[in-house]
Amino acid sequence: MAGRPIYNPDSFQNIREDGKVVGFCFEMKAQYYRSFTLSILRDIRLNVDGEDVNRDDIRITVNGETFTLEETRTVIDPEYRWEFGEYAAVSVRKEGGLAQGTHSLRGMQIIAPSYMPFQIEAPCDTEFEIR
Amino acid sequence: MSNIKRCVSLYSYQDEYYLGKLDLEGCLRETAKTGATGVELLAEQMIKRFPLPIETEEFRSQWFDWMEKYNLTPVCYDAFLENRIYDNRTLTLREQIQMMKRDIRLASLLGFHNLRTLVSTPMDVIEGSMDYAAKMDVKIGLEVHAPFSLNSGWADGYMEMIHRTGTKHFGFIPDMGIFCKNIPDVVREKARRHGASEECIKIVDDAYASRREKGFVKIKYDLDLGKANMEYRMANGMKEMMDAVAAAGGGPADMEYAGTSFTYSWSEPQDIIDNIDYIFHTHAKFYNMHEDLQETAVAVPEVVEAYKKAGYTGYLSSEYEGGEHLRMDLDVDSIEQVRRHQEALKAAIGE
Repeated sequence: MAGRPIYNPDSFQNIREDGKVVGFCFEMKAQYYRSFTLSILRDIRLNVDGEDVNRDDIRITVNGETFTLEETRTVIDPEYRWEFGEYAAVSVRKEGGLAQGTHSLRGMQIIAPSYMPFQIEAPCDTEFEIR
Repeated sequence: MSNIKRCVSLYSYQDEYYLGKLDLEGCLRETAKTGATGVELLAEQMIKRFPLPIETEEFRSQWFDWMEKYNLTPVCYDAFLENRIYDNRTLTLREQIQMMKRDIRLASLLGFHNLRTLVSTPMDVIEGSMDYAAKMDVKIGLEVHAPFSLNSGWADGYMEMIHRTGTKHFGFIPDMGIFCKNIPDVVREKARRHGASEECIKIVDDAYASRREKGFVKIKYDLDLGKANMEYRMANGMKEMMDAVAAAGGGPADMEYAGTSFTYSWSEPQDIIDNIDYIFHTHAKFYNMHEDLQETAVAVPEVVEAYKKAGYTGYLSSEYEGGEHLRMDLDVDSIEQVRRHQEALKAAIGE
């Protein structure tokens, strides 16, 4: 059985800045059927290997611009819609990044289309490898 | 001889689009291959950087070239009124009307004469946009999607407005998901894959059959859609059914199946005949077309028969929505599903 992929399996990697590992990142697709302004992306929740990621440590990059989840609240420009079927890069600030090897990720995208009485809470769980 | 025409909503191809197997032109090409002559578009789904390209001559000329190349007519533009685009407030009435007018204009720029709006669009926003819609020769169609229905307290609210204003630019777009004889088989199969028990499935299926037998209690008109929906569910026996599923030891898959069952409903096909003067487009929703061209949930032949009797001359627009019940575990073949559905529509129409 082959489910529809959410993550780009080749995208999981540590982030290096000035010779130091400062976090990790990956690419994922939105679990909704149309594009939307980042302002209605109400949250991304992540738990790696059983440990919750602090919301303030999460960034999302769309069309070359990076936003914190606090900043996305006001992002309505068409240039930064999360396009349907396109990957956005999600990065997490974490000193030392992740160890080489396999990790488990429990993710959740919270999206609030205006017409829905409830928010979409899309679970996005996966195992991934840091090489 | 019926004058009912066939259309495909590109929404149907979302799984192939998501995977990069089809782009916008690919979806149009597949639509044409089914023999449909109409196209329905969710601009926000398949036009990147929405709405910027629609403002450009370059994109529009490409769009109309495609229409010619594939012999397609733009039929319906599906709009989303993002009136809660910010998390701390709802847009003001004037902001919402501006947004609605923008969408009417965008629809018109791409040659559409019908615009689908959603049940969450406030009546004042529709009324405030109607003169502009008339000027742009675009009709605003309110989607009648389960749990909403025609011939209901909810629909009466809009009928009152139609009669009061005498508008010819507002009406209904029924979604054929309101004609489900039973819960779609793909939903039941998903529940089974995820561990639902046969006992719980039977409780839920029996409850649906009983609602259909007795007649669904209709949803009321209320600006608070969440409240209206919950009242509707309770009036239709949701609590009793959930209690029975829990008593039978229902786990998460059983509960999910039980909860989901309230997103499907049955209306009498006669509702189409009664309201035909206010229906100018139709979402021919379907969930699973078998090889023998049977859709086991939506009453396709019965509903198409009602459209024929009513003398409908608009389009029936295939809208495949089975993929969401497969994609977690299985491959989705929307192209084949739409092909089958178009064949079934063709046969029912009697082309």
